Formats: sequence, structure tokens, C-alpha cells
Amino acid sequence: MWTVIKSVLAAFFGVQKEQQRREDFEQGRPGAFIVTGLVMAAFLVGILAFVAILVSR
Amino acid sequence: MAPKVPPQPSLEQSSTATAAGHGLAHAAPPKGILRWLLTTNHKEIGSLYLIFSLIMFFIGGIFALVVRAELYQPGMQLIQPEFFNQMTTMHGLIMVFAAVMPAFTGLANWMIPLQIGAPDMALPRLNNFSFWLLPVAFILLLSTLFMPGGGPNFGWTFYAPLSTTYAPPSTTIFILSLHIAGISSILGAINIIATILNMRAPGMRMMDMPLFVWTWLITSFLLIAVMPVLAGVITMMLMDINFGTSFFDAAGGGDPVLFQHLFWFFGHPEVYIMILPAFGIVSAIIPTFARKPLFGYASMVYATASIAILSFLVWAHHMFVVGLPLAATLFFMYTTMLIAVPTGVKVFNWITTLFRGSISFEPPMLFALAFVVLFTIGGFSGLMLAIAPADFQYHDTYFVVAHFHYVLVPGAVFAIMAGVYYWLPKWTGHYPHERLAQWHFWLSVIGVNLTFFPMHFSGLAGMPRRIPDYALQFADFNLVSSLGAFLFGFSQLLFVAVVILCVRGGRKAPAQAWDYAEDLEWTVPSPAPLHTFETPPTYQRPAH
Amino acid sequence: MRTLLVWLAGALSLAGSSQAALASGWNMPVGVTDLSREIYNLHMTIFWICVVIGVIVFAVMFYSLIRYRHAKGAKAANFHENTTVEVIWTAIPLLILVGMAVPATATLKKMYDTSDAELDVMVTGQQWRWHYEYLGEDVAFTSNMSTPRAQIRGDEPFGENYLLEVDQPLVLPINRKVRFLFTADDVIHAWWVPDFAVKQDTIPGFINENWVRINEPGIYRGQCAELCGRDHAFMPIVVHAMEEDDFDTWLAERKEAAAEEALGVEREWQKEELMERGEAVYASICASCHQPDGEGSPPAFPALAGNQRMLEDREWHTNVIIDGVSGTAMPAFRSTLNPVELAAVVTYTRNAWGNDTGSEVQPSTIAQRLGQ
Repeated sequence: MWTVIKSVLAAFFGVQKEQQRREDFEQGRPGAFIVTGLVMAAFLVGILAFVAILVSR
Repeated sequence: MAPKVPPQPSLEQSSTATAAGHGLAHAAPPKGILRWLLTTNHKEIGSLYLIFSLIMFFIGGIFALVVRAELYQPGMQLIQPEFFNQMTTMHGLIMVFAAVMPAFTGLANWMIPLQIGAPDMALPRLNNFSFWLLPVAFILLLSTLFMPGGGPNFGWTFYAPLSTTYAPPSTTIFILSLHIAGISSILGAINIIATILNMRAPGMRMMDMPLFVWTWLITSFLLIAVMPVLAGVITMMLMDINFGTSFFDAAGGGDPVLFQHLFWFFGHPEVYIMILPAFGIVSAIIPTFARKPLFGYASMVYATASIAILSFLVWAHHMFVVGLPLAATLFFMYTTMLIAVPTGVKVFNWITTLFRGSISFEPPMLFALAFVVLFTIGGFSGLMLAIAPADFQYHDTYFVVAHFHYVLVPGAVFAIMAGVYYWLPKWTGHYPHERLAQWHFWLSVIGVNLTFFPMHFSGLAGMPRRIPDYALQFADFNLVSSLGAFLFGFSQLLFVAVVILCVRGGRKAPAQAWDYAEDLEWTVPSPAPLHTFETPPTYQRPAH
Repeated sequence: MRTLLVWLAGALSLAGSSQAALASGWNMPVGVTDLSREIYNLHMTIFWICVVIGVIVFAVMFYSLIRYRHAKGAKAANFHENTTVEVIWTAIPLLILVGMAVPATATLKKMYDTSDAELDVMVTGQQWRWHYEYLGEDVAFTSNMSTPRAQIRGDEPFGENYLLEVDQPLVLPINRKVRFLFTADDVIHAWWVPDFAVKQDTIPGFINENWVRINEPGIYRGQCAELCGRDHAFMPIVVHAMEEDDFDTWLAERKEAAAEEALGVEREWQKEELMERGEAVYASICASCHQPDGEGSPPAFPALAGNQRMLEDREWHTNVIIDGVSGTAMPAFRSTLNPVELAAVVTYTRNAWGNDTGSEVQPSTIAQRLGQ
């Protein structure tokens, strides 16, 4: 699970070691990556919204 | 994300299915006009899309020149303000929905099956249908210009209530035509996704696909996600106009700002729909003529995906002055600024690909390089526009016009032209006329910058967009812009000349038309025969 | 590419001396409020960041294009993917953006703070004019473009402030916090004065807020920034910013005049008086749609000359002007015009351009109707 999160984070940032990427693509299940990606995208929205609301007070 | 090997059974199924379809087509190939009306061949449909978009590019261009002619000097000389508004609106609608989008779809039709080693699109009859919807849609749209009250005159963003309560009677026709164009886009996108996911050559994994295929896959998902939103919002307009609802009419309890939220939830991903495939084309051309692999293939894929996701989270940056709450303005400012990161990654990747390459300057490369420079300038002004406090000054001025024309003309349109020059040898078997193409390139680059660079200045100096007449301090900028526009417009005739000459003859091109090009399309003969990859090729990963 | 470089050089040299840029009208004005200056500084900061990044990126690009030409026998390297480089070029822009977001957030918070205003002005956008109301002061007026159509058509030479001049400017005091309340009667407009860095959409049925505290007296010009139909280009904004004392005097005078006008409602008006007043009101309010000759431009704007329904039914005619017609472009003038003006314009439209009803409407009748 942690490796999935790490890989999705790396994808969000846009950079990943070639070795790790190959492992993900050969061993990982695509569904896990997609779901984690969506959840973390929602997370990103939440964080930004939180910051915006906090700052606007 | 992808399985190691594409799903073998489905590949066989679809290839037998299309083979059967071809069998029928071979049996009785219709002649003349019927051949084009009934064709299910991805290459023929691709050509139809490209020819259609070229015609529409000229029609939209004529509208733009009418606008620029009126703006050549202060005062109203040639046309009335009502007609001016129809021209700006039609120019925007035609260029976005009838020129740029169909051009990319045409390139996708031609090239995606060739690049993934598929015999045709997954759904050939649907493909024919989604093309032939387009002429219907845009003949309808253009016909509104001849109706009482004139055509749409509320800008391509058609903000309510100007586009509902205060709109000309032809607005209902406009809504119908956008519905048809939207259906065409959705069907096209479904077809492209089905093709890419099911019909790749054995051995080609997702991360082996050319970037043009990747960017189109992501673009297709964007299309499927946002086109229904557009359909929804224009249906609400239709109800407001004809059935007495009040979605956008404050007098009946509606909300004009709701229109803008819905429109831009479609509209912002839409601008990425028009630029992501451009990224794919440029990412194919630059490595070919730098004779060096793309610096970061994986990061390009990631950046495309990031841009696509972020594109859903930034829509209200078009609405900073409608009176959003402070927290909302801040949120959309932050997300918009974030988009600069993956976009920057793309530019850095192209430039690092050039670094220590072995670069030659054939016409496709010229357009691709101009794309990188001028798109980046458009990106910079985009970054400036993202700063919400400053946007209160930039908003709805010519600065915005300069910005989006930099990303759309030397951005999307140059990328389309780069793609056409790049793949013309594959389509026709001849190289494009080098001299003429160079003239076309240099006149276009000069014309584009003369037209759009002064708009930064007139916008900052305070000229609002969409006005048919302006105060005297903007006269010099507008004069230069108008001259540039006519130069740019007329140089596109050279493009037509190059394409026609190239179809009719020219230096013969081999299968591998460009030395370093390494995608699958270069393994089939030039010109590509009507049917290719009837038996799937075995994909060989390039070794570097 | 060369043109581009020339333009870039022009942009750089201009930006180099902001004063020159201001004078030449090539850049955003610094403006006359603290906030407009802050916004200008944000604009220049992000501009210079873009210039620096652009110079670096394009330098590497053009160096590569010149140095590694195939024609000069350059041999291509074969490197690709480098995690360190990729992390750097992702992280640095991210840091720059955070650095930019902090001051932008601070400025934005100030722009949103409309509290403690000393004067409230209601700005209403109408096709195609502005209506200003000094809330709580009983002073309100309409501001129309005063550039003659003959100049626009090219029959007369352009005036100095072509398209940026009005019959009645908005008058504001300097050194006082003025809060604007924005709304519209018909479509969305946007009220924009570049020197104040105030641009806000005026939306029918909704009220937006913004504010200004002007530092220097003067005349400031702007125009509608949101496409609002045919005469979008012809609804300028002129603000006359006065010393506080001058402003107080001006406001007192306007209040007195308004009070006098209110008295006029009670008395009996001569038909000639009403016609004269009505002609002026029609020219400034109605003529933009229904045309000076009353012919309108159907189907959107019906003709008034010879309009049977209107001539036969005075009640209906009056109601249309007071309440508007929902679902069409005809707005309600109940709050824009006072009873005298309403009576005058009804009388005028019933008796002009060959309309010969001979009937007139008294301001007192209208006042009664409004009171119901």
C-alpha cells in the first residue's frame, strides 16, 4: 500500500526513478493505482481548500 | 497501470471484426461522392476531418479579418456593432469547435491506428457518423448569419442572460448545432479510447505508446467528461429561451453566475483538449529532428495526466471579477498556479531533448520549435493571469486576447501544421515543397507575432476585448495587429498550395520518411495503402 | 523569430523604466490608490520572474539550436531521464510559485475588505449606460457617453477623449474609503477604472462589492469590460475625484436640486414642459434601442412610432416603462427615473414622430401609481 502511495505521489510530482516505475508497471495492479490517484487528488483539493479558507479568515 | 501485454482475445476479436468489414467494403466499393459519404476507413475519414477543418479555418479566418479590418483604425467604418459582435462570436465558435478540434481528430484518425499498429479504428461506422455530424452542425451554425436578427452575437462564451433573454431568435439553432458538434466529439472520443485500449499491436504496452497516442487518450477522457456539461448548460439555455424556465434569469430566481460556473467547468478542460494533442505532436517531432530520444517520456505522460486532472480544478479563474468569495478566489488562484508546474516540465523536457542533439530544420521542426517558444510566451502570460489581484486589471482586456491566441494560434494551430508537414510524406508519398513551406513558416511566424504581441500592450493600457471601436490611445497597437492579421491570414494560402502540390507530386518519400523517426507509422509504405496492419505487427521496443 | 526578438526587446526596455512605460501607455497604469500601486508591483514582479525564466530557457534552447546543428556535423548524444534534473526543475518553479502566492494572497485580502466605508455608491449597469446612486443621500443620476455619433461615423474629427467622455461623471471624494455596490438591470456589465484597479461584474439580481480610496484629485476614465450587447464599446466611465470639501459642497448642491425636483412632482406640468423634458430623457435613455426616430430595430426592439397597442392603451404603455417586460430586453425604469422623468417620457413617446394621441401624463399620476 505504501509503495502505491509513494508511486502516486511521485506521479503527482512528475518524477520517478525508472527502476521503480518498471516495478510498478510489472507488479502493481492498475486498479489500486487509479483508486489511490483519485483519492489523493481529492486530498489535494481538500488541502488547498483548507489553506484557502484558513488564509481568508 | 497497464497489463504487461494487451488483452490478446479482444485484439483478435476486433481485428477479425474489422477484417470482415473490409471484406464487405472490398466487395462493392461505392464510387464518387458515395464513397466519401459511406467510407468507414480511418484514413479517408481522417482526410475528411482535415479538409473540413481547413475549410472552417479559412471561414473563421475571414471572420477574424472582418474584425481586424474594422479595428484597423478608430471609428466605425465598415460594419455595424451588431455585425461586429456576430463576427467575433462566430470567429471564436468556428475556430474552437470546427477548426482546431476537428483537425486534431483528423490527425488522430489517420495516425493513432498507424502508431499503435491497428488495422482501423475500433468502431469504423461510428467514426463515419461522428464526422458527418460536423458539416451538418456547422452549416446550421453558419446559416444563422442569414436569419432575422442575425447569428449569435454574445461572444463564444455566450454568457447568460445576454445569450438567453437578450439573444437573437437564431440562438435556438445555435444551441442545436452545438449539441450536434458535441455528440460528434463524444462519439469520436469513445472511438479513440476503444481503439487505444483494445487494438495496440501485440507487445506494445501503455508506456510504449507514442506520446501523440497518450495525449489523445487523456484528451478523450476530458472530452467525455466535459462535453455532457456543455450539453447540459446549452439545454438549460434552451429551456430558458423557449420553455419559460429561469435557470439563469435572476427575475425568476435563477443565477446568471451559475451559467459561468457550468460553462467554464466545460470550458477550461476544453482549452486543454485543444492543447494536449499538440503536446503529443511536438513530442514526436522534436526527437525526430534532434536525432535523440525524448528526454523524459514517463514524466511527459505524468505531466499530461497532471494537467488533465488540474484542468478540472481551475475553472473559476475565468471568473475572478464576478464576485466570488475570498476563499474561492484563493483556491482557484492556487490551483491555477499549480498548472504551471507540469506545463513547465513539458517545456524543459523539449529543450533538454534539443540539448546535445543533432538538429536539422525541416518544415515540421520549424513549426515545432516556434511552438515551443511562442507557446511558452503564452504560458508566461497565463501565469500572470493566474495572479488573482492582477487579474482584476487584466480580466476581459486584450491582454487576455493576446494570451489565449498565443496558446491557440502559434500553440495549437502551429502544432497542427507541424503535424501535417511531418505526416504529409506518409499520407501522400511525397515530401512537401521545402522552399514554399519555409516561406509559409516565416510569414506565419512574423504575422502571428505582429498580430498578437501588440495586444499585450493594448490590453495593459486598458483596452477591453470585444469592442468594435476604441479610444485614440489604442490606435497604433490596433493598426499593427490588423496589418499582422492580414499577413498571417494570406500566408495560409501558401499552406494550401503546399498541401495541394504535395498531393499531386513532389520528391518521393520512402517508408521511413524522416531518418530518426521511430514510431510504427514509418514501417508501412509511403503513401500508406488504404489498408494497413491487417495482420498485427509485433512491436519491437526501440533500444536506447 | 526576429520580429519576436524586436518586440521582446521593446517590452524589456519599456518595462525597464516604469515611468516611461506609464507615460507611453504601454503598460498597466500605476494608478492613484495604494491598492492599484500594490497590484502594479505584483504585476511587475511576476513579469520579471517570467522574463528571467524565459531568458534562461530560451538561451539554452537557442544555444542548442545553434551549437548542435546536424548541418555542422553534430553527433547526437543518447541520454535521457535524469531524476536529479527532473526534481530540480519541478521543485524550483514550485518554490517560485509559493513565493508569488504569498504577496498575492495578502493583496487580495485587502481588496476584499470593504468594511468601514465612509460613502456608499450603488452602481447599476444598464444597456448601455451607468446609473449612480449615493446611498442615503437621495442623489442619483445616469451617466451616458457624450461622444457624438457623428464622430463615430467619421463625419466629424475625433475629440480628445473620444469614446471616454460622459454627460455626467461620477463624483467622488479623495482620501475617503468609498464602497461600491454593483448590480445591473439587464445583462452582465463590468465596471472598470484602470487607475483604481477596480473591475467588478455588475450582475442582474445580485450585488457585488468593491472599494476605493483615491489619493489624488483628477479625472479618471474607464469603460465597460464585459460584453453586454450592441453598444458595449459605448458605455464609458468617467470619475471626477475632488478634494473632500469640494465634494461635500457638490453633494449638498445635488441634494438640493433633487429636493427641488421632488417638489415638481406635486405641481401641474404644461404639455410643452413635459415634451421638452421627455425629449431629453428619451435621447439619453431610450434612443439607444428604440432609435432617435422611434423606429426601433425589430424583432428585438419594437418600433414606438405608430405602435398601435401603445397608442391605444396608455395604462399599459405606462406600466411597460415603469415595470419593464420580463423575458425581453425592456428593463423596469421604476428606480432609474423619477416620477417627473417617467411622466415626461410617457408624454413624449405618445406625441412624437407622428404619434398624435395628444394625451399627457402628469408626474403626480405617476407618483400615485408608484406609491401603490
